[in-house]
Amino acid sequence: MEMIKIFIDGCEITGKSGDTILNIAMQNGIEIPNLCYNSELKVYGACGLCVVEVEGVPKLLRACSAIASDGMRIHTDTERVKRARKIALELIMSDHEGDCKGPCSLNCPAHTDVQGYLKQIALGNDREAVRIIKEKIPIPASIGRVCPHPCEDHCRREMVEEPLSIAYLKAFAADNDLASDDPYKAEKAEPTGKKVSIIGGGPAGLTAAYYLCLGGHDVTVYDAMPEMGGMLRYGIPEYRLPKSVLAKEILAIEKLGVTFKNNIKIGRDISFADIRNSSDAVLVTIGAWSGSTIGCPGEDLNGVLSGIDFLREVNMGGRPDLGKNVAVVGGGNTAMDACRTAIRCGAENVYVIYRRTREEAPAEDIEITEAIEEGVTFKFLTNPAEIIGEDGKVKGVKLQIMCLGEPDESGRRRPVPVEGKFEMLNVDTVIAAIGQKCASEGFEDISLTRRGTIEANADTCKTNLEGVFAAGDATNRGASIAIAAIAEANDAACAIDAYLLGLELNTWKPYYSEKKVTADSLADREKKPRAVMSVKAPEERCKSFEAVINGFTEEQARKEAERCLECGCHDYAECKLIRYANMQPIQPQRLFGEIHDSFIEQRLVSIERDQGKCILCNLCVRTCRESVGKGILGLVDRGFRTVIRPEFMGTDAVRFCKDCKKCAELCPTGALKILER
Amino acid sequence: MRIIIGEGSCGIAAGAGKVHNAISALMTAKDSFTLGSTGCIGMCFLEPIVDIYDGKTLVRRLVRVSEKDAENIVNAARNNDLSLLDSITIKPEDEEFLNRQTRIALRHCGLIDPVSLDDYIRADGYQGLKKALTTMTPEQVIEEIKISGLVGRGGAGFPTWFKWNACRQSPGSEKYLICNADEGDPGAFMDRAVIESDPHNLIEGMLIGAYAIGASEMIVYVRAEYPLAIANLEKAIAQAREANLLGENILGTDFSCDMRIKAGAGAFVCGEETALIESLEGKRGMPRLKPPFPAQKGYTDAPSNINNVETFANVAWIINNGGEAFAAMGTENSKGTKVFALTGKIKKGGLVEIPMGATLREVIYDIGGGIKDDKEFKAVQMGGPSGGCIPAELLDTVIDYKALSATGAIMGSGGMVVMDESTCMVGMAKFFLDFTARESCGKCVHCRIGTKRIYEILTRIVNGEGREGDIELLEELCVAIKDGALCGLGQTAPNPLLTTIRYFRNEYEAHIRDKKCPAKECTALLTYSIDTEKCVGCTVCARKCPVGAISGAVKRPHSVDTEKCIRCNQCLISCRFGAVNVR
Repeated sequence: MEMIKIFIDGCEITGKSGDTILNIAMQNGIEIPNLCYNSELKVYGACGLCVVEVEGVPKLLRACSAIASDGMRIHTDTERVKRARKIALELIMSDHEGDCKGPCSLNCPAHTDVQGYLKQIALGNDREAVRIIKEKIPIPASIGRVCPHPCEDHCRREMVEEPLSIAYLKAFAADNDLASDDPYKAEKAEPTGKKVSIIGGGPAGLTAAYYLCLGGHDVTVYDAMPEMGGMLRYGIPEYRLPKSVLAKEILAIEKLGVTFKNNIKIGRDISFADIRNSSDAVLVTIGAWSGSTIGCPGEDLNGVLSGIDFLREVNMGGRPDLGKNVAVVGGGNTAMDACRTAIRCGAENVYVIYRRTREEAPAEDIEITEAIEEGVTFKFLTNPAEIIGEDGKVKGVKLQIMCLGEPDESGRRRPVPVEGKFEMLNVDTVIAAIGQKCASEGFEDISLTRRGTIEANADTCKTNLEGVFAAGDATNRGASIAIAAIAEANDAACAIDAYLLGLELNTWKPYYSEKKVTADSLADREKKPRAVMSVKAPEERCKSFEAVINGFTEEQARKEAERCLECGCHDYAECKLIRYANMQPIQPQRLFGEIHDSFIEQRLVSIERDQGKCILCNLCVRTCRESVGKGILGLVDRGFRTVIRPEFMGTDAVRFCKDCKKCAELCPTGALKILER
Repeated sequence: MRIIIGEGSCGIAAGAGKVHNAISALMTAKDSFTLGSTGCIGMCFLEPIVDIYDGKTLVRRLVRVSEKDAENIVNAARNNDLSLLDSITIKPEDEEFLNRQTRIALRHCGLIDPVSLDDYIRADGYQGLKKALTTMTPEQVIEEIKISGLVGRGGAGFPTWFKWNACRQSPGSEKYLICNADEGDPGAFMDRAVIESDPHNLIEGMLIGAYAIGASEMIVYVRAEYPLAIANLEKAIAQAREANLLGENILGTDFSCDMRIKAGAGAFVCGEETALIESLEGKRGMPRLKPPFPAQKGYTDAPSNINNVETFANVAWIINNGGEAFAAMGTENSKGTKVFALTGKIKKGGLVEIPMGATLREVIYDIGGGIKDDKEFKAVQMGGPSGGCIPAELLDTVIDYKALSATGAIMGSGGMVVMDESTCMVGMAKFFLDFTARESCGKCVHCRIGTKRIYEILTRIVNGEGREGDIELLEELCVAIKDGALCGLGQTAPNPLLTTIRYFRNEYEAHIRDKKCPAKECTALLTYSIDTEKCVGCTVCARKCPVGAISGAVKRPHSVDTEKCIRCNQCLISCRFGAVNVR
């Protein structure tokens, strides 16, 4: 047989004369994206992804059908090819209805593979579950306990009865793994010889340290406090996150090879310049450790504290004298931590002053419920107008009565003072838990935003200083939840890794197809109530800082994990479409219009077919006809409405199916699913 | 004396059948004149048409004839007094419609009885076949076609001799000659007219082609929506077989070839040659990848040649008169004549055959008589859904493959839809994209989804929901579809859109930015109001309004509630004082 030489992207390869470009490329291990090609079937040429540019040929050619000729110079990755491929993918994706990933994963700031680890927990494979979680979260036992879980807020099980208890299942698996003889330990890459300094050992700093260490870099974390953990250690009360749990997870990171240096404050113990000079890259994750002030008269009185200062003091073992009556100002989780901690510190009457109502409060509802159970009095629709003092010490607080007006830009109704209506509250201590700010002293040359946070590029985490990156509460929009800081730290670790190794950093957001699901479409699901975790009685809780929740029993956890609806596509890992779609940024949204609705049918013997995911590559039709010799499937209708059906629509066609499953095996997306029997 | 009625589809639609019956009913055995029928002469605007012949001479052409005229016609014929028919006789200016044409493909249309072999033979029929079979080798036939410069009349304009030669050279003992009569462009009816009115001309042209390429079977793929064409062709095939013009040893030579008809199920894409082949084979009509070309692997994988009806309709004439006579007409790169179906906002619509090189202005104004109701000419759509529009400033463009392509339109198969000032060009593009989106075979991504997305974007633009950036998005999609679609249907589908954007971008901008339709055609963008100066309070509009959106006291100016108004235009039509304004 005559052989020819061709060049693909400058690489010289040989192939059989008369063969197609695509075939020769595949035989030489070069991938040219394609969705409708299979070497055993006749060339079809429908998807338009395999287009290539050939020198001397004005038009783009389909590699699946273009015959290679000797000396041909082929380019698979030019701007023109990428543009053509992009729009083909956008067109396909604009008519592809299915969930690549479940809403839990898409709404997790860190995009943790929730469905993946829940499956493993359901199967009893906690170690494997932890492996999946640790692709994104290095401290799952801690995060599982404190995360306000956006995943659960978006869990579709809510439409059946209640969302899954995702966060605590994560803690369950992580606890089991930590307690096992052989806890999961990730593989570390070969040492790169690059040195990274991380300033701040909170969730962001620890996360970045973990992944950069896994990447083979030499990582040192500096922290001003005596122990690592940041706000998880010094902000979150013990009763929510036992410090022993956090300590175990931090130790695991240290054992991996990260160097921890505590009690080192930048500008006091070491200069920022020294750290920069001794490192190849620096990541600033100093958090937001300065409490915001209320902005009313009397704030400088003795007995006015900031929420985070108060929590830090208690977490360090202090028991401040709060007096009998304590007012906590704010409606967020820090306010809840502060009021419940105040109860545990022995205050008799603890009030929460919040200017809106419970509905608008950013705190987790369960936190409000548990605070009320513990005896906290909520004074909704009030706002401190003045803190009244006597001899320089707090004596009370004058509250302005509020009402709700029109919605503001956040969508919540704006609190409006009711003119002339006030209330006096006698208190000994006022704790302001209304926000946190970043204290960036010591980082003099770093650019700040108007809000006083460190300015970091949203995609690359780069600051204005060469080699200096920043992430977490200290940056841009300011303080947020721990998992958001972890997500940013993941990005920062990727960015730093790329920076250190001179790699190109993909900064675009990958596209995922999403399906519109309503309660109606889930009406056939069996109702299985959410597992209820046992909690300590309120009277008992008030007396100590012991953990409030007792955790899931093994049986509870497995059953709870089984409730997962598995919204994400079964084929996500193997789907060719999503893989190609995420090789470059695409925006199918700009082409959105009518779609083929997701319509799941079990037509052929052991195969389930989802109309919404079908991209009409016709591989199933063709393999059934050409290689199986059956021809049970065919295209029906014309134009956009074309669909694949058993050719004669009726049930007769199904009787001819010999259940070879070849159609499902060749399906490049998750449209055909082999049912497990 | 002979009374001949034009009974093509258009004539029948206009009532020719009723006229025929009415005349026939009045005739008696004593009458010396006869009644017969012919095909379509191409003057659709004058149908039904009745010709009165004295011997071979046409003595009167009667137009817009109705059953009521039957008595006069019969009396005139009986008494040999044609003056009775003056009021329905064609006007001299309307005769110009035919006088300015040069007919080759349509040379017999409307002049002979389509299903009379004798008529056809009397009009020099089958002389070309006889000449080819008895005096020329297949190579000489191909050479003659090459000299003529004939190119495919279906739209692509590929040299006919080249295709014939490629198929002749292609190895294989079994070869097929296929005629593409799946005429699917909205507003195109050239091929229908040829088959209905002159089926033997098609058979003869195809036989010469079959001889040239060495085919032993000919297939006419004709759309089932052309029942009269199929019926006439079937009759003609039967007559030809009987006369040894089809079958074994045609005209006593050793050339044998037969012919059959395949009725298509009405998918536009089956006009694409590879999809047509799939359909012929009994499969779903979807294009194949080229290469291999049909000349290499066509119908049942045998070498096949496919030409359009009009292409074949020229062949016998060329063989009879010589390639040079054909090439003497036209321009440097476009030879011979071209048939157009002139429709739309034109005074005189119908079939026009003119030599290449004439200008669009000559066709539209000199032959077509200009724009209906003397409105302003806006654009002409050439080539149907695959073509583009040509605006007023390019009216002097000559009919020539290159010159038309340069405008962004194409020669196409001959559809010529004329539009006036009241046609919205965005709406026009939307119409064609709706057509192609529906007719896409569904195979390739670009055509199946791309044309649909374009249609959706155009729909939102005409509904006043256009967004900034839509024009650019449309352009991007157009380029991608032209590049990426698998067959001609998809690759050319963006043309109507691209040309309207090119020549009427301001109309798109007006729809998107100002939410206005300059042609006042997109109802969602119209606002009706009443001019209080002009309104006399006659209350007619208020009574006509189906939704009660107009109110006002008698003899007092009325007003329109724009919230209620459904823009049905009834008020505008009913107002005798010109007081209704539309913006």
